[in-house]
Amino acid sequence: MENQQQDSRAQHYELFLQEIESIDEYWGPTFRAIYDGDEHQKFMEQLDSRIKSHDKDIERMCNFHYQGFIDSIRELLQVRSQAKKLNNEVVQLDEDLRQSAANLISKGEELVRARKVESNIAAAIENLSLCLPVLTTYAKLQRQMKEKRYYPALKTLEQLEHLYLPRVANYRFSHQMRENIPKLRENIKEASMSDLKDFLENIRKFSPKIGEVAMRHTCEQIGSEASIVGRKKRRLPTQNSFHNIAENDSNVESSYDAEEDLSAQDLIDFSPVHRCLHIYSVLGSRETFETYYRKQRKKQARLVLQPPTNMHETIAGYRSYIHGIVGFFVVEDHILNTGNGLVNRTYLDEVWGMALSKIINALRTHSAYCTDATLMLKIKNLIMLFITTLRNYGYSVSQLFDLLHEIRDHYNEVLMQRWVQVFREILDEEDFLPIQVANREEYDKVLETFPFSEEGTETLSFPRRLPFSSMVPKVYRQVKEFIYACLKFSEDLNLSQAEIDDTIRKSTNLLLTRTFSGCLSSTFRKPSIALLQVIQILIDTGYLEEATVYLEEFVSNITSAGGESAWLGSTSGSRSVLGGPPTQGLSTSPRGRGMFRVARDDAERQICEKLQMKLDEFLELENYEWLLVEPKGHASSFIVDLIAFLRSIFMSFTNLPSEVAQVACKSACNHIAKSMLSMMLADDIKQISMGALQQINLDVIQCEQFAASEPVVDLEEGALLEYFSDLRQLLDLFMTWDWPTYFHDYGQEGSKYSKVNPNTAIILLEKLREADKKTVFSVLKKSERDKKKLVETVLKQLRQLAQTAQPS
Amino acid sequence: MAKTYDYLFKLLLIGDSGVGKTCVLFRFSEDAFNTTFISTIGIDFKIRTIELDGKKIKLQIWDTAGQERFRTITTAYYRGAMGIMLVYDVTNEKSFENIKNWIRNIEENAAADVFKERGEQLAIEYGIKFMETSAKASINVEEAFFTLARDIKTKMEKKLEASNPGTKGGYQLKATETQRKPTSWLSRCSLL
Repeated sequence: MENQQQDSRAQHYELFLQEIESIDEYWGPTFRAIYDGDEHQKFMEQLDSRIKSHDKDIERMCNFHYQGFIDSIRELLQVRSQAKKLNNEVVQLDEDLRQSAANLISKGEELVRARKVESNIAAAIENLSLCLPVLTTYAKLQRQMKEKRYYPALKTLEQLEHLYLPRVANYRFSHQMRENIPKLRENIKEASMSDLKDFLENIRKFSPKIGEVAMRHTCEQIGSEASIVGRKKRRLPTQNSFHNIAENDSNVESSYDAEEDLSAQDLIDFSPVHRCLHIYSVLGSRETFETYYRKQRKKQARLVLQPPTNMHETIAGYRSYIHGIVGFFVVEDHILNTGNGLVNRTYLDEVWGMALSKIINALRTHSAYCTDATLMLKIKNLIMLFITTLRNYGYSVSQLFDLLHEIRDHYNEVLMQRWVQVFREILDEEDFLPIQVANREEYDKVLETFPFSEEGTETLSFPRRLPFSSMVPKVYRQVKEFIYACLKFSEDLNLSQAEIDDTIRKSTNLLLTRTFSGCLSSTFRKPSIALLQVIQILIDTGYLEEATVYLEEFVSNITSAGGESAWLGSTSGSRSVLGGPPTQGLSTSPRGRGMFRVARDDAERQICEKLQMKLDEFLELENYEWLLVEPKGHASSFIVDLIAFLRSIFMSFTNLPSEVAQVACKSACNHIAKSMLSMMLADDIKQISMGALQQINLDVIQCEQFAASEPVVDLEEGALLEYFSDLRQLLDLFMTWDWPTYFHDYGQEGSKYSKVNPNTAIILLEKLREADKKTVFSVLKKSERDKKKLVETVLKQLRQLAQTAQPS
Repeated sequence: MAKTYDYLFKLLLIGDSGVGKTCVLFRFSEDAFNTTFISTIGIDFKIRTIELDGKKIKLQIWDTAGQERFRTITTAYYRGAMGIMLVYDVTNEKSFENIKNWIRNIEENAAADVFKERGEQLAIEYGIKFMETSAKASINVEEAFFTLARDIKTKMEKKLEASNPGTKGGYQLKATETQRKPTSWLSRCSLL
């Protein structure tokens, strides 16, 4: 048992030792375990024995490795020197290396720098080459702007914007440029617009000239056409009148020379319009431009269409007005053809339509003021030229013809006014005495101006008297002049021959029926015109009537209508009448009377009136004593004088055409009879004695004797007496106191007193009754009382008759 | 009817063709002058009412044609005329000389007693009143007619008084006046 304990202790110690040996530091627990066992002495001894065993191991090991150690030291010493040597070498080497490396580095750095510069340069060049075209383009743009080449400028701008600028987008200058581009565009727009405005202004200035030239060309064209076609001779005056227009003002003529053969378009540069149109098209504002252009031109049109205020005064006014308009539309036509749709037909037609109505209005208004036929002719020619010119340019001009027709009517009116003057002068100067010619020469001279033929012209004796007054050839000539003046206007009016004929016929008709007759009737009114002259006028108008057939011929000749169209109310058949005596001609050619008929009728009426006025003067001398007891036994002196005068009139006026004499004589008788009757029936004559009635009867017998005496030839029998039949029946009734017959036959055909109106009888009977009352003693006589009673009865019956007759 | 006049005097103008009878009459009746010479055909007349001493006198003045061919017509009026004016042209001597012939003509055609009375005076320039007139310048025309009318009136009234107890009706020409007429030469110078 002790042994075993010893063993286990030894083992225990061994374990601790081993633990201490194997563990480097963590000895605590082990030491604790040692100390806890209270055997640390023993363990210390164990430990010392262990240390002594280890010391002995170390000693033995040192003895064993001593030599080797020495050797190693020695070797080490050797290595030391060698190392030192090596070290030196290395240092040296390092030094050398260090030296050569420094050089290299510096070169290298230089190289790096150079490389950097190089690459910078390359980059700069690259960038600059991008910028350069921008700048060149920009410069080009500026130059183009400056040169006002706006369209190329615009192209350049386009290029700049879309091609070059994007490449240099991030530069400030490019930014600026980019910002400037819209402004530049606007500038271009404005600049080209201002050019256009200049153009518009220019064109306004030049329009009249363009119009003038265009019209002159038309005029020349017409002229050359005429010479090629070889128009009829009668057309020649027309040409002349056209040329007259051009020749009227020589200064205009001279300016023509300078522009010889220049067409309207050569006179003006249209490029601003085209440019502007391009530019606006490019800028996408074509619409705006179109609107602007049209609006401006419409404004100009309105200005052009405003006629100058004093236009109606001279042809120059009309001319400049027309030239302006032609110019405007020639320009528009050019724009239409070249303007790439800037104006189109529709627009132009619209403007033209507006213009046309204004032109027509203006011309109508102004020409209406015109009272100068020559000026009107000029206006007409101007308008004709205007029409032709614009028609050549494709404008519709038909309305202008209507205007011309209107002006023509006015022109005819003006002519008529002028001819009123002409006729008035002729009539004022005229003495209305037959033309006296001293010799053959004078005779022929008259016959040159008036178609008149006498029988046996070869054997005429001089001096001689022609049947008509000098008014006849003068008026005839003036009518011809008038016809010619009328025709002058109708020419070239696109009228058919028939229409021209019709116009002239109408105008001439009016001239003669209205104007000439009007002048004549104011001549009649002059107190100085005696009966003789009125008769001469009547004869004169007869000759003028006869000459209408020659007027017709004259018109046919100048209108080339071929002499078949019968007009002027005449027939060609009436020509044969002219050879006969004029009076016969007048009476046998009713259809040949035509337009002078009115004047003739008037003259005829005047003869009757003049005669009646004379008769009235006699009748005013009437001095009846209405209460006359016994008639004087002879006719009253005023009636005797009147009849004698009337007789002498029809005896003296041998040249009075018999049919007129008949009419005049009838009217005289009618007038006398009417006047006598109204004398008896006059209200202010209250009483008429039987004696006075008998005196009147004597006077009426005087008249009846005259009527029965055939004072003028070729009257149907009893025609003049018929006028006195009213009076006669009335007087007979009262003279014979034949009341029974009157009442018995009243209302019957062929009654002896058929023309006695009961009312008339009443008036006269009452006057008789009144006159009888004056005789104071009459009431005493039985016969007188009976008579009075009878009168009352008759009056009563008459009143009954009058009453029953009244409704009719 | 109320009378519009107290007396009616019928006067006659006589003289050569173209001396200006119508012009004188035209001046008197219309107070106008007409330059054209239109010879009177047959006979014409004008009536003008004048007032003398409060009496309304109608003058019916007959204007005769001077031309020979109307002589038969014109002489018929001599008889009824109460006053005759003989007219000649101061520039036409022939027309003055013819006055004698015209007076003879009147003597032959008018009532005889007139010229018995007037014949005594004929020796001294025919013893008739004389006036120079101008129809164109309107000188003395009015006076001539008025003088003539007054003479007629005086004589007529004297005669009415004298013949109060008597019964012989009708009156005769008492005064004949020759009028010197420068009218014609003026009337012919129509431009003056």
